[in-house]
Amino acid sequence: MNAGDKTVFNALVDEHSEKADRMHQLFLELGVDFASGVPCGVLRHIIKNFDDDATVLHVPANRESEAVGLAAGAYFGGKIPVVYMQNSGLFAASNDIASLLVPYEIPVFFVVSYRGCGDEDAAQHLTTGGATEALLQSFGLPFVVFGGQNLETLITSMFEEMRKRGLPAFLLLKRGWHR
Amino acid sequence: MRRQEAIEVIMATISPQDAVVSTTGLISREIFERFDSDRNVYVPGSMGLASSIGLGLAIARSTKRVVVIDGDASLLMNLGSIVTIGNKQPANLLHIVIDNGAYGSCNEERSMSDTARLDKLVLDVGYQYVRTVSNQEDLKHATMEFERGPGFILAKIELGGRRDFRRPLELSAIKNRFMLFLKQSTKGEQL
Repeated sequence: MNAGDKTVFNALVDEHSEKADRMHQLFLELGVDFASGVPCGVLRHIIKNFDDDATVLHVPANRESEAVGLAAGAYFGGKIPVVYMQNSGLFAASNDIASLLVPYEIPVFFVVSYRGCGDEDAAQHLTTGGATEALLQSFGLPFVVFGGQNLETLITSMFEEMRKRGLPAFLLLKRGWHR
Repeated sequence: MRRQEAIEVIMATISPQDAVVSTTGLISREIFERFDSDRNVYVPGSMGLASSIGLGLAIARSTKRVVVIDGDASLLMNLGSIVTIGNKQPANLLHIVIDNGAYGSCNEERSMSDTARLDKLVLDVGYQYVRTVSNQEDLKHATMEFERGPGFILAKIELGGRRDFRRPLELSAIKNRFMLFLKQSTKGEQL
């Protein structure tokens, strides 16, 4: 790694997001006390807030499927879990969502970075990016693409719906959502 | 040792207060038909995730002993899970792998457990208690002697065995009674 790369990396870490902080505060108010997932740069503020908060049991996973299993186990044990991942990982974990969370009616709140849409140029994201909403629609699972809505209203209503239906819910965050 | 015998020994030796998470296929179906109880949860889909579910539960309920009854092929499908378990060091987690060297619930196609050296791998990633057994007496002792985890018992069994078990279907009801069991049995414990 040359010095230039290092500067960029540090800049990402030091950047602050008021939106991510408000989201974290809402999670706490809604009882969230467990988090798992696989990192994506788009989600870095959210992950750091989990890391920095001793009231949330944060158990990072090696793969997105593992995070789904960890969240299910924590839920059985009385925890309220959030799982974070990139949408590429949503496809990797899709069977685990469909065959574990749905039939067991386990409400897990997913925060998913939405790559491969809009002006995205990374070739590896384009196919999953074009199919992300269709995947969730075909599973019959509720999702919202964040577009600057009021976070309080949005996340509170998503949690209410998730608890009422006993199904996982998905918040999709595009690059730059945190500004 | 046959699958039936291994399951009998495990279910008779662990405490009735232990929570059980069992893996996909015939292992869960046999436990469901012969040893169904509020303290069991089955993983009929999401093959490989039994140990992840067990770890999430063991961390969430650190005073409750959690016994994962896994298979060799299902562990190999989610092998990164042993690294997470070794990293988190749940003292209350006992991870038992019933190893027939095959996808026994399919058509007994071979898995790769014969070259995987699972008992060595789990030691290397930080499990605290590791035993390999191939008969009922040793399995019973290895289960009884487990005190501080993460623990791992590799229980080698023969291929074959009964296949015509019922399937756990009412999963939401199984979840509700499992969560009630966990809630009631952790009352008064130091959480």
